[in-house]
Amino acid sequence: MCLCGTKAKKLPVLASRAFSSSARQLKNKVPEAQKLFQEDNGLPVHIKGGTGDMMLYRATMTLTIAGTCYSLYWLLMASMPQKKA
Amino acid sequence: MAHQAHAYHMVDPSPWPLTGAIAALLMTSGLAVWFHFHSTTLMILGTILLLLTMFQWWRDVVREGTFQGHHTPPVQKGLRYGMILFITSEVFFFLGFFWAFYHSSLAPTPELGGCWPPTGITTLDPFEVPLLNTAVLLASGVTVTWAHHSIMEGERKQAIQSLTLTIALGFYFTFLQAMEYYEAPFTIADGVYGSTFFVATGFHGLHVIIGSMFLAVCLLRQIHFHFTSEHHFGFEAAAWYWHFVDVVWLFLYISIYWWGS
Repeated sequence: MCLCGTKAKKLPVLASRAFSSSARQLKNKVPEAQKLFQEDNGLPVHIKGGTGDMMLYRATMTLTIAGTCYSLYWLLMASMPQKKA
Repeated sequence: MAHQAHAYHMVDPSPWPLTGAIAALLMTSGLAVWFHFHSTTLMILGTILLLLTMFQWWRDVVREGTFQGHHTPPVQKGLRYGMILFITSEVFFFLGFFWAFYHSSLAPTPELGGCWPPTGITTLDPFEVPLLNTAVLLASGVTVTWAHHSIMEGERKQAIQSLTLTIALGFYFTFLQAMEYYEAPFTIADGVYGSTFFVATGFHGLHVIIGSMFLAVCLLRQIHFHFTSEHHFGFEAAAWYWHFVDVVWLFLYISIYWWGS
């Protein structure tokens, strides 16, 4: 059963079609995503999706910088003479 | 969008190569810190950073291809070359471990008893679980091909079913192999037999898990209508990787499990 090219008429038919798959009847949201990511707002792709993107980026960058400092701390620890017990 | 007069992809500036490089730094130095100072924090931090990098980087590739249309035919060609070259590098990676196995097993030293398998090693019966594992992976090669044809023919439901079956078979293999590892009468510390067995099959198992994750992402993308019958390179890359994993297993089975027993 070919589903390509039946975008606009899908909604009313979905309710009555007997899909045996256990997956939810998902709507094709690709056109909306295409509109969002093609908007001419100058945003780079990694934060173009919205606030969630920015939060995740900030969390990642915080871990990056904190982690770098932490590794430098251990480098200092490792390069100092070990006290004999 | 008439911003470029060519079909190639000039990517937006991205922070993920930096975060990925730092993740590698933290994981490796964290490993050293764990060994010398018994603290796992740095290594765990590095691993979390790696996972965050992988998620966001590949999310961005999906956005660039599926949502922004940057994956034109020449760009796709480049991606194909990239995947093939990566898989080739993985072939060489495994070649090294096979070299180690054959080095030790073709001329067994007196310390091993001058024989292979070495004295004292009880090998696994190649016609029990290992044979089942072979059947499972071969079957998964069939189901992934079925999934590919379903995608190309626009059969959405069949594509989802066959891809799900492929992933299930992958998980079944991993489960069976985990059971084998637990029940094995020898360990990684049992001389060169143990080392070659567990390092070669262990890295293979890791690749099965990676391949299953790749296929799972493809399943999610297929459910969300990302793939078209003409353009679904992400899936093709996952399928190539899966076939590679299957072939490595066949070599492992013939060499280590069968000939080596």
